[in-house]
Amino acid sequence: MEANEARVNVTYAGGNGDLPDPVSFDAADGDVKGWIAEALTGGGVPGITVNGAVDLTDFVVDRFAATDVRPYNLIQLRPKTPFGA
Amino acid sequence: MSIEAGVLVDLDCEPIHWHLPRDRNTGALPDSRQLWDIIWENRERVLGFAHSHPGSGLPGPSHEDVTTFAAIEAALGKRLVWWITSADNFVELCWVGPHKLAYGRGPAMYEPTWMQRLRVESEYLISGPRAVQADDDTQDQIRKEVLYGSE
Repeated sequence: MEANEARVNVTYAGGNGDLPDPVSFDAADGDVKGWIAEALTGGGVPGITVNGAVDLTDFVVDRFAATDVRPYNLIQLRPKTPFGA
Repeated sequence: MSIEAGVLVDLDCEPIHWHLPRDRNTGALPDSRQLWDIIWENRERVLGFAHSHPGSGLPGPSHEDVTTFAAIEAALGKRLVWWITSADNFVELCWVGPHKLAYGRGPAMYEPTWMQRLRVESEYLISGPRAVQADDDTQDQIRKEVLYGSE
């Protein structure tokens, strides 16, 4: 993996897995979500099985730079969690 | 004035985690990666999540609420129960479909035992005879009694 790339970890439909290929660490959120949605729809994320349409509208893209412990950049997709009156 | 609070609840309807982030305020519980991590870690035993809204009367979910409900359920791959409390009433919501944001009221036959603590954590002005015109110290004392019982 190149220094400007990141592993992409996804949590969806009760499963968790990584995209097979890294992406640019500074890719736009919309692009990252699009690639993930395409992979999920096509069954391309090991560990996640999706039945039906994939909607990532209310999901958040978190980014974590490489560290000594984790020597690669990480992008994680998770659901948003705010609540409001 | 109150401050929003939340609690994650397990299949026995017991609290798993009290969600009281530093950045919560009178109208919102902000997005929290930590909350998601806790939900995911407890995905096998989580029943639902409750949070508070300001004011009294029958509360209803906001658009922010229902979009969060749907996103969390999509990530978990299962449906949850969602409670919202006000100072004196609560609703129990679940997905009724078919639209992804169609959440309707459940039976809510019994108020869960942790609901009163959720109200305390939400810092509603405590109501009742003792609280009428109570000063701040008395309000604090009443809250402690609700949380920890009378000494």
